[in-house]
Amino acid sequence: MNTTPQRRRGAALTAAILSVALVLTACGSADNGAGTTGDKAAETRTIKAGNGDIKVPASPQRVVTIGNTDLPFIDMGGKPVGVTEVAESDLALLPEDQRATFQQATKLGQEVDLEKVASLKPDLILVQIPDDEFKKIEQQLGKIAPTAYWGLDTEWKALAEALADAGNVKDALTKQKSDFEGRVAKMKQTYADAIANTKFVNLDRYASSDPGTYVIGDIGCVEIAQDDIGFNFPKAAAGADPLAYTNLPFEQLAELSKYDVITYPADAQGKATEVFAPVVETNTWKALPSVQAGKSLGVFCPGNNSYGAVLRYLESLDKALATLPAKK
Amino acid sequence: MSVRGGLDPQAGSSRTGTRRIDFGRRVLVVRHRGIAIRLDWRSLVVCSVLVLAVAGLAVLALMTGSYQLSPAEVVSALTGGTGGLVRDIVVEWRLPRVLAALVFGAALGVSGALFQSTMRNPLADPYIIGFSQGAYTGALVVILLVNGTYWQLSGGALLGGTVTAIAVYVLAYRRGVQGFRLIVVGIGISAMLASLNTWLILKADLDEAMAAATWGAGSLNGVSSGQVAFGGVCIAVLLVLAALASRPMRQLELGDDAAAAQGVRVTATRLGLIVLGVALTAAVTAASGPIAFISLLAPQIGRRLVRSAGIVLAPAALVGALLCLAADYLAQHVAPTPLPVGIVTVVLGGGYLGWLLIIEARRRL
Amino acid sequence: MTDLALRRPAGPGTRKVSGPRRRLIGLTVALVVLAALLVASMMIGSTAIAPTVVWDALFHPANDIDHFAIRDFRLPRTVVGLVVGVALGLSGALIQALTRNPLADPGILGLDAGATFAVTVAVGLLGIREIQGYMWFAFAGTLLVTLVVLVLGSTRRGQSPVMMVLAGLCVGSVLHGAGSALELTNPDAFDAMRSWNAGTIVSRPLELLWPTLPFFAIAFVLVFLVAGPLNAMALGDDLAASQGVRLVRTRILAILALTLLAGGATAIAGPIGFVGLMVPHVARWIVGPDQRWIFAYSALLAPILLLASDILGRVVMRPAEIPVGIVTAFVGAPVLIALVRQKKASGL
Repeated sequence: MNTTPQRRRGAALTAAILSVALVLTACGSADNGAGTTGDKAAETRTIKAGNGDIKVPASPQRVVTIGNTDLPFIDMGGKPVGVTEVAESDLALLPEDQRATFQQATKLGQEVDLEKVASLKPDLILVQIPDDEFKKIEQQLGKIAPTAYWGLDTEWKALAEALADAGNVKDALTKQKSDFEGRVAKMKQTYADAIANTKFVNLDRYASSDPGTYVIGDIGCVEIAQDDIGFNFPKAAAGADPLAYTNLPFEQLAELSKYDVITYPADAQGKATEVFAPVVETNTWKALPSVQAGKSLGVFCPGNNSYGAVLRYLESLDKALATLPAKK
Repeated sequence: MSVRGGLDPQAGSSRTGTRRIDFGRRVLVVRHRGIAIRLDWRSLVVCSVLVLAVAGLAVLALMTGSYQLSPAEVVSALTGGTGGLVRDIVVEWRLPRVLAALVFGAALGVSGALFQSTMRNPLADPYIIGFSQGAYTGALVVILLVNGTYWQLSGGALLGGTVTAIAVYVLAYRRGVQGFRLIVVGIGISAMLASLNTWLILKADLDEAMAAATWGAGSLNGVSSGQVAFGGVCIAVLLVLAALASRPMRQLELGDDAAAAQGVRVTATRLGLIVLGVALTAAVTAASGPIAFISLLAPQIGRRLVRSAGIVLAPAALVGALLCLAADYLAQHVAPTPLPVGIVTVVLGGGYLGWLLIIEARRRL
Repeated sequence: MTDLALRRPAGPGTRKVSGPRRRLIGLTVALVVLAALLVASMMIGSTAIAPTVVWDALFHPANDIDHFAIRDFRLPRTVVGLVVGVALGLSGALIQALTRNPLADPGILGLDAGATFAVTVAVGLLGIREIQGYMWFAFAGTLLVTLVVLVLGSTRRGQSPVMMVLAGLCVGSVLHGAGSALELTNPDAFDAMRSWNAGTIVSRPLELLWPTLPFFAIAFVLVFLVAGPLNAMALGDDLAASQGVRLVRTRILAILALTLLAGGATAIAGPIGFVGLMVPHVARWIVGPDQRWIFAYSALLAPILLLASDILGRVVMRPAEIPVGIVTAFVGAPVLIALVRQKKASGL
């Protein structure tokens, strides 16, 4: 059950893979040259991470996030001092305050700059990047500050738990979790009929998709609708590559007649995203029975690896489903 | 620095068969147990200056970084006076990178010298026979399909590059290997692999694709001290072999017929030189990805500095080291955001060639 | 009847110049093959559509999903493949004639690099994501690089082909490096560029093609004008000059035509390698050194290669497709290598 966003369009992770370029706001700190962490971080506790039991400060003040940990940590109200670079297209999806937090932690280029991390003098480093990338910098990071690492196969809910624990933002998480569970329960109840009887299909298109192609999206936000709520979306056979890995030519849109409802990526207002727009503009799309019947829904997916983002997705999905013509 | 003899002076001199190295130049001859070493004064001076320049730049690179350190701290870290994070930064983080730039640059310079001499073409470098595209394919397979470790990445690159180079050589073999045919087959195979690489990049996850593309641009990022040590030993052995090969290489520069008349086995020697050149490039590519243009430029700059008619190995090695070090310094500390070193070498290399071209055009008017 | 004449291979070493009749027959055969491919391109795809439906879709269009597939997807890609193919073939023939180098292609002058860099700027810095927007950047990039290469590669005695190739190499390298720097520091740009880099003729609506047609038309006229003089120049500048060929004018016109063709093709389809390199080479192998015939054959063989590669790309991974720019090298490179192993071909 790998819920790692396979193509977090321009992912946060990107930067981390290449590198770990972190930024600093702290300047001109006097260097005593001894490399000691000082005596501020007197109180410590031990947390469990992918790289073992890590001793971290009880209340970390200068957190550096590397890779996928940045946005989930910020989502829970964390204020990292250093973050790895995130694609502009991903930042655009964040709420205003979170974007501001991200921008405050100045970021920079793509290549590894461990020296920048060191000069930030962090007291905790949170990392989620591919295993082999982490192995390359594990030792160096460990010399700078306590480093908690989770592999890419960590499920997003588990990651949120772990990050909240490590970064001492548990209260925010508890609130988000209960909101999420409440919403899921309510949607299960409202759409019980659709869950049982409607054949859904989710389409997607990526910036790197070959022109004239789309995919049947079975990774990303749709996994929440599918697994947590129980809607009937097509899924790849166990062990096989996700359906979203196969680019289908527009000609194949004709095959979608067999589904009752089509969902596709849209912005917060429900308009098809720029990348997906070419699909919606084809005559084939417009001729599809479900589209003509008003059963094609644009859904906003601001991210699928933190509770806040997922909640906003569910809200958008809820709103879209409510517009469906009543079914006999 | 003067630009003499046009862009392809070796072709001219090899045809006339003169060896200008013995003409009107001060030469120092060292004899020891029947072995005579002839040292050219100009070469000696140029090489000494180059060594000093390389050393100076290396010290500068050790002192520069986002973590502010004073020269005194650097010196004491190097001499073991300081421990802790400062020592780690200088000795374990910065030093391997500087050494890698030095050693890899020198290897690329010599590799290019071997190729240009063998092909009698100033535009020949090991990448022409498809090595870099092949290595990139190997690396892409490891990064994107196998999800391998850094050592596996080196192995994959090495395997991909070597298989490609052999394939190119075999496909170009038809009663001997002719330089032109080798180049054409290299172009063909490279184009196929380039297509394959584009396809692999296109099909990969964005993050992995970018990691692969950075490697493909040639980067000294994440080169560990273990790799530098391992690569350094390999390269040192290869450099010794290259030095031994410099005499037959010189004879080949005079033309196949002339070399054969002097008792050189042309095809075998050419193959040997190519293998040596490929091996040097391979050692570098395996660790850092293909760093372009150094192997093309270093021999030419070196030749112009010592004003020799043919390609000379020692200046090519030193210029290569200097170029690589300088390019990495620019890429890390001068560029607005840190870049892979290979991007800087491509831009600088292209610019330098363009500049040569303008000079050339002026001169011919 | 004509079988014998067609099958007789051009003997190695002896530069056998085929007679006009044989060349005409060959040209006809190529035309027939091209026509067959045009039809095949309409019929073959991820879903099988019956020929009668194809016919109806074209001539009695209805509001039918299959008809949309034919008219909106297959017809444009076939027409675009034809136009882009002709343009690539002619531009390759031009550059090879101009540089007197059978292995030159428009990429050797840095034109591809210019187009790619301009598109990277459009996508990465200006955030333009639609082909309608950045295709003109590609076109402008090609034109600019041509200008730079002309200036850098010129001496007071006129343009030297060798110098232009070197200038193209330099400009190409610098732009390639700068483009990579932009891409590798901007994940969004990298993501968008990797699909452009593959080169494709899919999803290019015909409205995209129309504005480029005037440029292609000018280029075709120019090709007619320079074919004769280029023929004379193949024998050497001095000889051509003594026959009254105006060297500088011919070169500049040829370069202009080359830029329009290559720039237009790249603007529509992205960088498609190998067609421009290989096809004129093969054409020369068939018809001998006469440039006019080489142009005619290149203009037919190139769309044949392109359309065949495109069709191949649709079927090998059905229902997914492989972009044509990736397939051409796999079809083309083995042919090139086989050719260069022929002593005669490599010596040209």
